[in-house]
Amino acid sequence: MNRSGADVPDRLALLPSAVASKYLTNAVRSGHERLPQVAILRAAGSIEDGSARWSTGPLKEILDEAMSRFADARTEADAWLAPRLHATLRMTRAEAARPELWNFLALAVAPDYVLWRHLATGEAKDGTAKKVNTPRFAGPQDSQAFARLWWAAEMFRDGPDYRPVEVACGNQDMLNTVLRLDTIDHKPTALAMVRVLEGMVRSGATRLGDRVNALCTAVNSAGSTLLYDVLAPDELPDQEALFAWIDDAEGAPPVPWDRLPDGPEDGTARRASVDRLTLMFQELADGAPLRDRSRKRAADSA
Amino acid sequence: MSTVYPYPTLAGRVDITVRQAGIDGKALPFSLISPREQVVALHLAGRDDWEEATLELEVGLPNDELADGPWASVACVAVLTEGATNSRTVARLERRRDDTRWRGEIRLRRSMYVARAVLQVSVVGSYDGIDGRVIGTGDVPWVVDLLARTAVRQRDIEIVEEDFRDGPQEWLRPFKEAPWLVETSGELPTVLLNTSFEGLGALLNGARGPLEKAAAGLVATQIAGDAWTAMFHSAVGDLEVDDDGAPQVPDGWKEPVLRAMLPDVFPGLPLADALAEIHSRRTEGHGWAELQSRIQFAASRRAQAPKNLTTALRAVSRPQEGAAR
Repeated sequence: MNRSGADVPDRLALLPSAVASKYLTNAVRSGHERLPQVAILRAAGSIEDGSARWSTGPLKEILDEAMSRFADARTEADAWLAPRLHATLRMTRAEAARPELWNFLALAVAPDYVLWRHLATGEAKDGTAKKVNTPRFAGPQDSQAFARLWWAAEMFRDGPDYRPVEVACGNQDMLNTVLRLDTIDHKPTALAMVRVLEGMVRSGATRLGDRVNALCTAVNSAGSTLLYDVLAPDELPDQEALFAWIDDAEGAPPVPWDRLPDGPEDGTARRASVDRLTLMFQELADGAPLRDRSRKRAADSA
Repeated sequence: MSTVYPYPTLAGRVDITVRQAGIDGKALPFSLISPREQVVALHLAGRDDWEEATLELEVGLPNDELADGPWASVACVAVLTEGATNSRTVARLERRRDDTRWRGEIRLRRSMYVARAVLQVSVVGSYDGIDGRVIGTGDVPWVVDLLARTAVRQRDIEIVEEDFRDGPQEWLRPFKEAPWLVETSGELPTVLLNTSFEGLGALLNGARGPLEKAAAGLVATQIAGDAWTAMFHSAVGDLEVDDDGAPQVPDGWKEPVLRAMLPDVFPGLPLADALAEIHSRRTEGHGWAELQSRIQFAASRRAQAPKNLTTALRAVSRPQEGAAR
């Protein structure tokens, strides 16, 4: 893990998934061996547009800061990093949908961060070294170490306001479960779920993880017979504003560390829509059965 | 509609038609809209700088059933979605009083979609005091393909020619002696054909005479068999499980692959049971080896191996009339 930093490429590029998985050996994923940087750089394809947003410098800076800030509580780094990663790596959804970009970030720019964030401490039961799962380096957008944070920020931001992102990413159950659900592709649904989560946290609810999972399940299954888009209409985001924000990356200062950055002014969700769904989801959450853990415990002890 | 609904739903057909499509205000040629396959192809050769596509929709609903039915405030909406970008665009369709069809347009923004969007229509109404209930959905959703130059639905496999030996893709060097490779980690499964493998491209693209055609057919069968096997294994390899540990039908290209092959691998088992079976065999290891012959059988059936092999054998045994060049 002792990378000198000198060999980190200046700009992001695109690394095919087939190449990435080839280099993700057990030794690499357990942090015992370094990735073959030269071969990886040679296999990567460059990004045509020369804009400053593909520079790796500002990314390394926030990743290093996250590692030093959250040295004792690395899961907490997610809520801090997600909005800052999104505001640093400014791009459209179409651009963010390229797994090659995330592969490159994880393998060529910041493998140390992936290991730091996702390598479990201690030894596995069979005495072998623990290792990071391959999808954290190269995998689907809800698992890959950086893609999951960028997409969480994209799905939970309310226009320029990243506060709901902090709440959603501050809860690992929410982050891990909800990103897999298609229901949050509707912005008022995503924001209403965050508000319900916020209420649970504020009231100091017990078994928060179970409650969050029950909420996600309830919202998702109600969504199979209810069309939230009709109950809670919303506008299309303002594409020009998004493009302007992305262009601003050229001259924008690095993201602030102690307060939240501002996202694109591409329109906030309709208040009335979020309010209506919040009420509905609150009722669903109150009535949702929590997972029965007694059975499992009995089975475990048997 | 496969879900069980705890309230009355429409029995009649909901059919969707894309009447017209435009890109940045310019009409798309009709050849790029296929009503039969329900596909719109948005890739225009030489034009990569467009920002927005508009689809003009027309939807036929069972209007009599709606008028007599128990639902109130019925609305008809078009929903465009794509898994890769988590994007979702919704547009309301309207019906004029003197019209039988519901009409409207939906806009697809280039910055929000990347490869293949799905266009579905939902009919929504109030029942029993609850608003927004889905009472019907389109029989077959449309596919809006941003990368295709032709309006074809089945794009199971992408075929790309690459020079493994001297081409720009460094990672292909070690495979320079392989005639082809199947790559399943991307958005679409891809067969990479090695152009540095002499004669392969010429045979596949320009076979003449019965013997050459038979040989090309055999090679194509071989490639297809490899591709189906690889696709099957990678689709089974990252099945996601729900809270109860039941594997979910994956999305994208993996779904049709599993739907096509699982009935040959586990004859007689419904899809959900077959999924559970293959998932447990793979993760727990029991009976995995026994399954390989069934997977190989399923792949060779998809690749039409028996048919192509018979054709080739007949061509070889026939006297070599037209084949001499």
